[in-house]
Amino acid sequence: MIKKILIANRGEIAVRIIRACREMGIETVAVYSEADKEALHTKLADEAVCIGPAPSADSYLSMESIISATIVSGADAIHPGFGFLSENSKFAALCEQCSITFIGPSAKVIESLGNKQEARNTMTAAGVPVIPGSKEPVYTPQDGEETAASVGYPVIIKAALGGGGKGMRVAHTPEEFVTAFQTAQKEAQMAFGDQTMYIEHFVQHPRHIEFQILADQFGNVIHLGERDCSIQRNHQKMIEESPSAALSEELRKKMGEAAVRAAKAAHYTNAGTIEFLLEKSGNFYFMEMNTRIQVEHPVTEWVTGIDLIKAQIRIASGEKLSYEQKDVKLTGHSIECRINAENPEKGFLPSPGTVRDMHLPGGKGIRIDSAIYSGYTIPPYYDSMVAKLSVWAKNRKEAIRKMRSALGEVIIEGIDTNVDYQYAILNNPDYVAGNVDIEFIEGFEYKK
Amino acid sequence: MKLDNMFKKTNSSVDKKGYITLGRSGPMVPEGLLRKCNKCGAAIIAEDVRRDNYICPKCGGYFRVHAYRRIEMLADDGSFQEWDSSLQGGNPLEYRGYEEKLEGLREKTGLTEAVVTGRMLINGSAAAVGVCDGRFLMASMGEAVGEKITRAVERATEEGLPLILFACSGGARMQEGIMSLMQMAKTAAAIKRHSDAGLLYISVLTDPTTGGVTASFAMLGDVILAEPKALIGFAGPRVIEQTIRQKLPKGFQRSEFLLEHGFIDGIIRRENMKETLSGVLKLHEKDNVVLPEEDGSSDRKQGYNGDGWDGYGLEDRDAWAHVEASRQADRPVGSDYIEGLFTEFTELHGDRHYGDDKAIIGGIARFHGIPVTVIAQAKGTDTKGNIERNFGMPSPEGYRKALRLMKQAEKFSRPVICFVDTPGAFCGLEAEERGQGEAIARNLYEMSGLKVPVLSVVIGEGGSGGALAMAVADEVWMLENSIYSVLSPEGFASILWKDSSKAKEAARVMKLTAGDLYDLGIVERVFAEPDSYTRETMGQTLDALDREISVFLHKYCSLSEKELTEHRYSRFRRM
Repeated sequence: MIKKILIANRGEIAVRIIRACREMGIETVAVYSEADKEALHTKLADEAVCIGPAPSADSYLSMESIISATIVSGADAIHPGFGFLSENSKFAALCEQCSITFIGPSAKVIESLGNKQEARNTMTAAGVPVIPGSKEPVYTPQDGEETAASVGYPVIIKAALGGGGKGMRVAHTPEEFVTAFQTAQKEAQMAFGDQTMYIEHFVQHPRHIEFQILADQFGNVIHLGERDCSIQRNHQKMIEESPSAALSEELRKKMGEAAVRAAKAAHYTNAGTIEFLLEKSGNFYFMEMNTRIQVEHPVTEWVTGIDLIKAQIRIASGEKLSYEQKDVKLTGHSIECRINAENPEKGFLPSPGTVRDMHLPGGKGIRIDSAIYSGYTIPPYYDSMVAKLSVWAKNRKEAIRKMRSALGEVIIEGIDTNVDYQYAILNNPDYVAGNVDIEFIEGFEYKK
Repeated sequence: MKLDNMFKKTNSSVDKKGYITLGRSGPMVPEGLLRKCNKCGAAIIAEDVRRDNYICPKCGGYFRVHAYRRIEMLADDGSFQEWDSSLQGGNPLEYRGYEEKLEGLREKTGLTEAVVTGRMLINGSAAAVGVCDGRFLMASMGEAVGEKITRAVERATEEGLPLILFACSGGARMQEGIMSLMQMAKTAAAIKRHSDAGLLYISVLTDPTTGGVTASFAMLGDVILAEPKALIGFAGPRVIEQTIRQKLPKGFQRSEFLLEHGFIDGIIRRENMKETLSGVLKLHEKDNVVLPEEDGSSDRKQGYNGDGWDGYGLEDRDAWAHVEASRQADRPVGSDYIEGLFTEFTELHGDRHYGDDKAIIGGIARFHGIPVTVIAQAKGTDTKGNIERNFGMPSPEGYRKALRLMKQAEKFSRPVICFVDTPGAFCGLEAEERGQGEAIARNLYEMSGLKVPVLSVVIGEGGSGGALAMAVADEVWMLENSIYSVLSPEGFASILWKDSSKAKEAARVMKLTAGDLYDLGIVERVFAEPDSYTRETMGQTLDALDREISVFLHKYCSLSEKELTEHRYSRFRRM
């Protein structure tokens, strides 16, 4: 069993991991940059090692410093959290070379899943649906029509050298195809001097649905249900929930099995997440696999009762999974809101500064994951997420009510936050009705 | 709220005896995976250092490179042929333990001596090369090192090859005493013969280059390059500090210090070294590029109608208007002409004596493919740039740099093209201390006898001797609104009329405009400018210059050395 873990991260996730270790009786080593001397993770861990100046590149991304800190402190494992070095295969390989347990999959697996084309090929071979598209470049509308029919309408026609929407057209029906292709190709010729085109199935108004996976070193793989992360701004998730209002029991089973197949095909170990795009039609497509713990893992913990960080540590220690798929039941409904130090009225401008005073909600079914405290100064160098508020209730409707109540109680003085913006989303009729897709925020009008 | 020591620690609940061993020993860093940067002290991944040209990924500091690795970084694959690989020296002083020491080093490094020499291709260009290896007695120069370098230089001379030497050395090898000292003379003499054969020598200084190596082959390159922050000097900094009992300033004897003091042509980052060397080699290859035949304009006074200045929108402007136009802040400067007329400009720095004057830019470039030496008096384009370039007023080291580059052009038979734009040579205490007058005089003297074509174009202010020191040419041309005079109109008025405010009147009587000087036979050609002459509107003027420079080169490159110098002599003789 692992005795001492170095947490190669900061902020709330570092605190979350330290808490799991405290409960398991594992000693903890925090690493911190010069800007994080007063950070909660630095204070809460049993030991703390300074690994460099404020910029991430010189501290939380400095592999050499982190490896040295591990050796010096006598830790036998590293938990990378999310972001920073968590999906860096070179770092995982360095840990392997130094006989340090990297709490996550092997360097080889991280690398092969990090390569988009390789991951796509692995998934196709395992029978996991990927967005259908032309494998070869297409030059003429005649060839294109054939490909379009095989990938399924609507299709998107893209220039090989494209970018910024140039040389890109959608054809909803075979009738529209030839004109769309010719226009896109002409545009591509004008913009890039190249007529090489690709055709892909056009995924319309999809939801972002991801499946949590646990895989041990003995080939056992289970999924812990899905998370619906369709509420996102510029690809940054804002609200996540589990289960998804859009999944029937049947679809959940189908997607869950695909996720397990995907993880098995990749020879995956530890906790991971398979991301899918889900169309209204029920068709779903593999996007990518995240080879780390996710920000939004608490919602899965709420509905399954499984502590994912502890599970990660146990798997890394060489333990077998103590549950089978049939033991996993999704109970009730959980929602998480990310609370960021930013100002939605100023284009979400980050708002670092000192937290003068704060009050956070509590009570049954309410959880706070945060690393801020009264008097803490949020440094400007890192991510602006300062807290995650998650709730659990027996169904979605009650969970929404609980989240509204909890958000309404949050007071953080001294910095701007997106709490009111989140509150407004929780009151939006479409959101309440579960009628959302990944374009929701684009069409959302925020009124304070 | 202060959180120091507020939280209870974790009590390890893991039974120290009972935990499952994972079949491995505890975490440890395997040998050779990490190393410490000797510059910044940071731990770094050894593989990253190897992959990134032996540069510390944290501080950018340079590690020393082994000789064969260095060759691998430069040579085209498989092109290196080693010369004299087994050559070894003796023990002339019969110094005790020396032979054992050498034997030990041979075993440890796999080298026979501290320098590796041979022939290689760099992007297809052949060169003789010698690379010092600091692992071998700090690559100090004894008999074997001196002999190997000398043989390589001699062979390069024989085979007509350019030479590249990478210096990295503590100096003369003490264990070989006076024999080491003689290697300095021997290598220098061999390089002299190589140079006399008209061949190119590029010296590259790496950390450290000191003592007898600096004072011999390292400082004799036609082109001297250095890696960033390399220690380069004759006496070592510790010795100097002990002698003068003073702390030396930061950066003393580093590459940047040498660049500022005029001893090296440039500092080249390791990742750019191969391309830079290959570029310089190619500029010195005799690839027989022929200029396209240009008719040129038969009108030698473009914009001048014979009776007087016809204007180009300047009808009512008198001489003073030309003076003002020549000083206009947004008027194109020397660097604009270099950029507009030439390709592959490689700037070379320093006078090799005292400094690098930023008021004069010089280097090698191509004009329609043929290598030329370009030297321009340089004003800045804004206040900051002007302060840096001393408002285009050269110091003695500027003229000495120009002369060095002209002599270099002569050695490699490159035409010289100068651009003149200065209010005058810098007038100041330091300039006098370093011999401003001598520097100008020397240029007039040497330029009159240069055995390659020389063209000077006055593009702005042609201020007195400071301008003439770059205008003893086969032809001198002027732009429409440039001026050329013995003194500024202000100075003229103040000397003759004791009133510098009469500069406008002075300008009228001085005959300093392009039109006046054409009529006086001081210049051969005048080029028209558009109404408002700026970087944006200089295109047509550049086209005309481009055409006429082709014609000039056609004409003068075909003359013999004797005809050239005779022509130049008589050009000034008749004035």
